Amino acid sequence: MEKKKSFWNFFTSGYLILVLLFIYLPILYVMVFSFNDSKSMTSFEGFSLQWYENMFNNREMLESIKTTVLVAVIATVVSTVMGTVAAIGLSKAKRIVRSIVLEINNLPVLNPDIVTAISLMLLFLSLKIRRSLVTLTLSHITFCIPYVILTVLPKLRQLDDNVAEAALDLGATPWKALTKVIIPQIYPAIFSGALIAFSMSFDDFVISFFTSGVDVQNISMYVYSMKRFNPSVNALSTLIVIVVTVILIMANLIPYLKDKKTNKGEQET
Amino acid sequence: MRKLIEFRNIVKSFDGQVVLKGVNLNIYENEFVTLLGPSGCGKTTLLRILAGFLEQDEGTVIFDGQCIDKVPPYRREINTVFQRYALFPHLNVYENIAFGLRIKKTGEDIINQKVSRMLSLVNLEGFEKRRVTKLSGGQQQRVAIARALVNEPNVLLLDEPLGALDLKLRKEMQRELKRIQQEVGITFIFVTHDQEEALTMSDKIVVMNAGEIEQIGTPLEIYNEPVNAYVARFIGESNIMDGIMKADYRVRFDDKDFECADFGFKQNEQVDVLIRPEDIRIVKPKEGVMRGEVKSVIFKGVHYELMVETRTGTKKTVKMHVVTQHDLSNPQTGEKISANDFYVDLEDLENNQIADHDFVSIANAQAWDEEDRDISLTHITHNIEKAPGEYSITFGTDKGTEVTVKVYVIHPEYVEDARHNIGISALDFFITADEIRDSMAISTDLKTWASAEAWNLQDDSSVEITDVRFDFDPAEVKEGTYDITFATRGREYKIETTAHHEVGDKVGLDFGPEDIHVMHKEVADV
Amino acid sequence: MKSFFRMTYPYILWIGIFIVAPMLMILLYAVTRSGNSTLTFQFTLDNFAKFFSDPDFMKVLWTSLRIAFITTVFCILIGYPAALFIANLSERTQTLMVLLLTLPMWINMLLKTYAWRGILMNFDMESEVKVFIGMVYDFLPYMIIQIHTAIAKLDRELLTASYDLGANKWQSFLKVTLPLSVPGIISGITLVFLPAVSSFVIPKLLGGGNYVLIGNLIEKYFLVAGDWNFGSAISLIMALIIIGSMWLTKKIDRNAEEE
Repeated sequence: MEKKKSFWNFFTSGYLILVLLFIYLPILYVMVFSFNDSKSMTSFEGFSLQWYENMFNNREMLESIKTTVLVAVIATVVSTVMGTVAAIGLSKAKRIVRSIVLEINNLPVLNPDIVTAISLMLLFLSLKIRRSLVTLTLSHITFCIPYVILTVLPKLRQLDDNVAEAALDLGATPWKALTKVIIPQIYPAIFSGALIAFSMSFDDFVISFFTSGVDVQNISMYVYSMKRFNPSVNALSTLIVIVVTVILIMANLIPYLKDKKTNKGEQET
Repeated sequence: MRKLIEFRNIVKSFDGQVVLKGVNLNIYENEFVTLLGPSGCGKTTLLRILAGFLEQDEGTVIFDGQCIDKVPPYRREINTVFQRYALFPHLNVYENIAFGLRIKKTGEDIINQKVSRMLSLVNLEGFEKRRVTKLSGGQQQRVAIARALVNEPNVLLLDEPLGALDLKLRKEMQRELKRIQQEVGITFIFVTHDQEEALTMSDKIVVMNAGEIEQIGTPLEIYNEPVNAYVARFIGESNIMDGIMKADYRVRFDDKDFECADFGFKQNEQVDVLIRPEDIRIVKPKEGVMRGEVKSVIFKGVHYELMVETRTGTKKTVKMHVVTQHDLSNPQTGEKISANDFYVDLEDLENNQIADHDFVSIANAQAWDEEDRDISLTHITHNIEKAPGEYSITFGTDKGTEVTVKVYVIHPEYVEDARHNIGISALDFFITADEIRDSMAISTDLKTWASAEAWNLQDDSSVEITDVRFDFDPAEVKEGTYDITFATRGREYKIETTAHHEVGDKVGLDFGPEDIHVMHKEVADV
Repeated sequence: MKSFFRMTYPYILWIGIFIVAPMLMILLYAVTRSGNSTLTFQFTLDNFAKFFSDPDFMKVLWTSLRIAFITTVFCILIGYPAALFIANLSERTQTLMVLLLTLPMWINMLLKTYAWRGILMNFDMESEVKVFIGMVYDFLPYMIIQIHTAIAKLDRELLTASYDLGANKWQSFLKVTLPLSVPGIISGITLVFLPAVSSFVIPKLLGGGNYVLIGNLIEKYFLVAGDWNFGSAISLIMALIIIGSMWLTKKIDRNAEEE
């Protein structure tokens, strides 16, 4: 019986390790080859930092990074603010209104990206708006808001209605109740909504591809349009992987550390 | 009756915490056995060991003459009704009940037959196709019982199955369970923390406490002859007193010797004495074996529950000086301020138990503006020294509105009651009539103003002051001096009676030798 | 309450302009002839007729559905055991595993696909197999997480009850865990099958220029051929297929629940 059990444990952990290997294979691969001394993607011919150097000298690539970050930051801020405000309004709205608005809200989530992309492109073309950094940003805000609402709204509906009412009962104005009682309670949801919005915008290809102007491209578009294979992309990927990992670890660690800190504070008093 | 289950010295611990400390227990055929105890006493753990969901660290479980320690749960002829029922949400009522039979590859016609029989046993005919998630708590409970019983186990385990039901339904299910047990005639092992449930249903009750069995017996034995104060307190209402066994049939408690029915104790052995509330009769003050004063009356439906104090607690009386209004106003800022003179215990000063901000509440110092909003007192200056005498203290606001009052540092007399190990102290105090009128909780405020406190003389732990007596009407109080008495809880008896009495009535208490039950002191766990 | 609702006005205006209007434009273009001006529309169903009568287009549609279907099946086959094994780990390890699975989801899909292109250059295989590997890779974490969520929230006591009623571990899995994790599988399917049908980048990067799925077809008609009307019609067909199958799975899910 014991033998059977340990064999089973061995089997399941082996399986999980294989799955993780599969999922991390391309990431490990680019990390290794970003330090390759040659242009080859098949054989590792010694350590070098030339592709990192190359990357920082590649104007087009740097430009695309700048565009990506700029668009992602604007889209995140606008969609988080507008989405949170709308979600609070929706949480108090009549059921029927809420469900209609949510159905429309879900369209960009359910629709294939390419359909959303060409629909926006048709809009800009028909209105004779030249596609540019502006149209790109507007499109990004459009597909980011639904995710903010979908993250914030459920949290709002979990809130105890009595808490806001208690605040009003204790003399708070609706604005005070909102900023002092409601927002602090949904703060984590707003934060994760913003994180999702940022990552959606940062990673988007399809919608950007159809809605941005010829002279503007983000990282995804740059990679897609590359005529020849360029190992600098490996260097870029490696840096992105490191940044994402650090951000995710912090996002997971900060609430934990905060908890610990407040616990400690309570013990001291 | 045949012995069916035998627990031999079962030990179990979780994360180093011992939950069962060597339990020995025999269970016989066709018994309705209840494991009774508070949560965390190990009763559920014992049940799960029997079902095979947990493995004991030490000891053996014998089932029908065979050791079943290595038998997996799915091969034990035991079935369980779970606390939250654990019905399969994806299956309907019929399929839930048929689950065990399908596992055994029983023929469809036999399944049909057995499930129908079970449904009628638990009164759920016609519910076959219902989804279990749509059933009420009581109905889910019945499905869970049917699902277990259809496998024709020798023993049915029930893990607090009635806990989630409301009171009325619980009573109904108690009767129902007893009927089902008598009808199928197998052993039921029932786990609960509800003593009433245990008393109404069981043939045998096993009272557990902290991983050990305290007492095994019929409901009547457990109620009438509890082995110790723990069991007595757990089952039914009780008055438990410290006593000394003077001789056989003679016990002394509350400073009096009583005749009793108990014997076989050592001479002068320290014992616990139990008298059930329903065994004490209320009589005229002179006719009883004790007399006292009614402190509270609670109507319980069929009867009243009285608390009768036969001996008052430790008390201390102080003087309350009601003085005239003395608000000071500051014409420049429009602020007003007030505070009272007060007394301070020298010892509290010497032990640094009073900080500056404590003076604010002792003096009842307050400041407020023209719109009646409170203002904080930020400036406190005084010349108080750690020696008896008269001093002064000044309270002030940020804007410079100030009030100065007198402080008397004194060495007050404590009341020390060595017999009951209680000390109590309180100080005279000054207060205005308005402050008394404005008080929302006068007893609590009086305690604060008089700095009243009581403590255990041995370990210095704090003792609650339960009684604050005064003879003025807080709404109509005038200037002058009043006596306030603070007291701790005295000896109180809980009594159940159908006759009505008022709080403050002087009554006699009467009970006979057969109403007194003497128990050995619990041996403290090491 | 009214004052709260005012908070949604900017958002409602936004979705009116950027979600509703563009979708209506696709609809409009799909049912009109090309070359119309702002004032005159010529309604027609020719665009749809053209799509459904051309065997080449039907082949593309069929290939898209087929590859999405196989991708989904493989995601379930690989993902289900993984989700089950993860659910049996200790609480802490489970959190760690979920974190490890989510981490790559945050990394740009183009970059990951590009990396696969590099890896697969080492092997000589059919372009369809390459596309297929890329797709399973991209969607597997979604499937695992959906199924794991469903299994992890199962009441452990149900398994105990199943053992108590005589079922061994394997029987308990078949009769309790598996049926109760079906909702997780279904939401996994919606997260894998539907995006896979419309996938556009992976076939292009891994399959080479000649491997065409329906998404690539749409791109071609918009950006190369400049026939917006026909492109809109194809988009509409794809959106209908996807929203239709979403509605269908929802219905199946609900029926299963009411059964």
